[in-house]
Amino acid sequence: MSKKSWLLLASLMLALSVFLAACSGKDNASEEGNTDSSGDKTEEEESGGELEFPLEVSNTDEGIKNGELNYAQVSDTPFEGTLSRVFYTNAPDGEIMDFFDEGLLATDGDYMITNDGDGAATYELSEDNKSITITIGDDVNWHDGEPVKASDLLYAYELLGHPDYTGTRYTFTISNIEGMDEYHKGEADEISGIEISEDDKTITLNYKTASPSILSGIWTYPVPRHHVGDVAAGELTIEEVESSEKIRTEPIGFGPYKVTKVIPGESVQYERYEDYHRGTPALESIVLKVYNPTSIVKAVKSGEVDVADIPADQYLNVKDLSNTELLGKVDLALTYIGFKLGEWDEKLGENVPDPDAKLADKRVRQAMWHAMDNDVIGKEMYHGLRFPATTLIVPVFESFHDESNPGRMYDPDKANELLDEAGYTERDADGFRLDPDGNEFVLTFASMSGGEAAEPIAEWYMQNWEDVGIKVELLDGRLHEMNSFYDRVRGDDPDIDIFQGAFGVGSDPDPSGLYGRNSSFNTTRYASEENDELLTKGTSEEAFDLDYRTDIYNQWQELMVEDVPFAPTVYRYEITVVNDRVSNLSIEPGTDNAKIWKWGVTEDKASAD
Amino acid sequence: MITFIIRRILVMIPQLLLLSIIIFLLAKAMPGDAITGAFQGNPDADANHLEEIKEKMGLNDPWYQQYGRWLGNFVQGDMGMSYVHKQKVSSLLAGRLGNTLLLSIATMITIYLISIPLGIIAGRWHNSWADKLVVTYNYVALATPVFVFALIMLFIFGFSLGWFPITGSVDIRAENGSWEYYISKAKHLVLPTLSGAIIGTVGTIQYLRNDIIDTKLKDFVKTARAKGVPEGRVYTRHILRNSILPIAAFLGYEITLLITGSVFIESIYSYPGLGKLFIESISTRDFTVVSALVMISGAAVIVGTMLSDIILSIVDPRIRID
Repeated sequence: MSKKSWLLLASLMLALSVFLAACSGKDNASEEGNTDSSGDKTEEEESGGELEFPLEVSNTDEGIKNGELNYAQVSDTPFEGTLSRVFYTNAPDGEIMDFFDEGLLATDGDYMITNDGDGAATYELSEDNKSITITIGDDVNWHDGEPVKASDLLYAYELLGHPDYTGTRYTFTISNIEGMDEYHKGEADEISGIEISEDDKTITLNYKTASPSILSGIWTYPVPRHHVGDVAAGELTIEEVESSEKIRTEPIGFGPYKVTKVIPGESVQYERYEDYHRGTPALESIVLKVYNPTSIVKAVKSGEVDVADIPADQYLNVKDLSNTELLGKVDLALTYIGFKLGEWDEKLGENVPDPDAKLADKRVRQAMWHAMDNDVIGKEMYHGLRFPATTLIVPVFESFHDESNPGRMYDPDKANELLDEAGYTERDADGFRLDPDGNEFVLTFASMSGGEAAEPIAEWYMQNWEDVGIKVELLDGRLHEMNSFYDRVRGDDPDIDIFQGAFGVGSDPDPSGLYGRNSSFNTTRYASEENDELLTKGTSEEAFDLDYRTDIYNQWQELMVEDVPFAPTVYRYEITVVNDRVSNLSIEPGTDNAKIWKWGVTEDKASAD
Repeated sequence: MITFIIRRILVMIPQLLLLSIIIFLLAKAMPGDAITGAFQGNPDADANHLEEIKEKMGLNDPWYQQYGRWLGNFVQGDMGMSYVHKQKVSSLLAGRLGNTLLLSIATMITIYLISIPLGIIAGRWHNSWADKLVVTYNYVALATPVFVFALIMLFIFGFSLGWFPITGSVDIRAENGSWEYYISKAKHLVLPTLSGAIIGTVGTIQYLRNDIIDTKLKDFVKTARAKGVPEGRVYTRHILRNSILPIAAFLGYEITLLITGSVFIESIYSYPGLGKLFIESISTRDFTVVSALVMISGAAVIVGTMLSDIILSIVDPRIRID
């Protein structure tokens, strides 16, 4: 290239860089401006107060009659579009279904079924709590006008328990039904424990054991047998149902809005269902569209989107928008550090703790929890959207999360004390503690890659532990991709001593699925008699009494703080940004305005920032 | 020619078979599987049921049995079920393929529309200011990462000016088959297409320019000029016909790229296509989808190469295929 053209190239590059700088400069300026205007908020954060978000929008006006709501599904992948509660795999599909499909029974703030929530059906428990009778209201119809029948709910159970069913929802509350085992193994054609009344409006489910898990875990989503076709009658196979267009692009439900159109992977259009059993839904139509996380902020800003769940890393960009309100609630999720204490015994089907495990002394585990400064993680990495966790039951469960239990707060002195007490007193030349026998004490830490924060967080914890003299090294010296991480953690890789992971928590507060002796998902392999006893009590017949169950779970949380198989690190906030024109929307489970039919818009056009 | 094509197809069969074994083994060597992943995501799920399903679906069988089953079905046109999408892989791919083809054909046409004239200008008047401008553009385009460029386009034309929609492939409000539907589809196509095309012109421009510069000094061009052929005709008839060869040869490969899609562009514009599906299926360990996609693109590469050869022999009679 000649000299001249280099000059030209250089000048062009210069021009481009000025242009780019101008773009980013503008952004910075507007951000600064916004921070100024909300100075008091910043002070509040600085003074140590936790972030507080409202759960409900302040706009309580009645919506306009012909309003259309734009709902954003924030995701960098197209949704799968399996629009059936029985078959779907991932949360985005569930988000789509919430608008047109709902459970027959209403649920309260603890995600437990209730007769007070104006549900499509009411229930009654038998004297011995072993059977439940659900009566469907007369005014409850599918979107095609057919009444919702008890046999439609039966159909859901027939699909879930079907020998060919490969989804994830054949759970305890399903298999606990009488005769379900036989049906699931293909030995019986019918589920003997389910009875249907003559008028096909009442269904009785009989359980093998009485367990309060049915109060939150019971399956109440019927499947429209007439619409999708009948597997039980041999009309089609399970595979044909799950890949059927009747589920994928023409699904029906009895929820507040009907699906009018689905563009696979990108958007869904709904219209008001006039015959909705609670009343006439406030909006005329809803459009749900997938937005990439990189473009969602701009779309919210311009008013193109009315409602969106915002990823934590975009929080700072939306928190001061003038055209929206931020709602936030604690998510059904938990991040933790797990301590490997034994192995999974495939034959016995139970976790077998090893009394000689490296971390068998609970004082060491307690000390490691005390050594972790989670407050810094929440504030620095997640702008306060994560905050230190105290117990293994997330605060979402109002009645079961023990507010009074402080967990183990950051306290390095206490950590040192505990370690000294446990006999880890001697130190090597670098200041790291030796184990009670005077041998080198090094722990291997497995952590997942993904997200910008993954590496600094792992480093931070290792630094925290080093501060109390515990030497921790990353497994293979690096972070691990999710699948291989879980593969090794679940496979009890002997190289792993501690690991950092996260749970999504189900709506059933019963912890036995994650921490029980017989659960292979209990990856620490912790088991103790006391734990077994409390978990059994928590789902026993007595536990139908809320106070009793609360007390048992408080004891269990205390036991976990004492034994520390898992050290919970942070809880998370889930942030929803809502345009000012949206009214009567709440994200608090169990409240009236959390029910989608209440949501309205009070202006024709959404306001822009 | 026909014997050539038949021969190439026969060679293809062992190639594809080998490819399929490699793909299958690599896929199986990845830790984790789709079912475990899905169960991990559902906290209420029962771990015992997980094992039961894995057993039922034959995931615990030795690899050669699984491979045999998979190949047997594949040959019969059954690519299996996607575990994550709960759908036949064939219909899943068919759904995405339409979008991907539309986007990549539009991108390819745009690339040629931009790069052929620019390449000719740069080659014909090389060292002129126009040539320098084209070359500069070319280097800037080469140096610009597609995800940055796509975001800049999104920002300027989607947000600041608001000319084009920023997400999806069509507005759901438009009625299928109506005039608005096609207009909306076209409008949704503009930004993703331009994002890919404007910085995708590098190869074509460079080849064309260099070849024209080369060719115009050749003896037969001098002869043509000496015979008094007008300058314009020299370029269109004599030079271009020769210089277009490398581009024609590339066409076959370009067709391969058509079906693989662009991960970044699909992701930024939330445009459901095959590229994103491929990456996503790898991370969720959706083996059936991954294997089907690799097989298809593998087959496309082989077919594309063959097409390149055929096109070449048509454009350039000097290249004989026997």
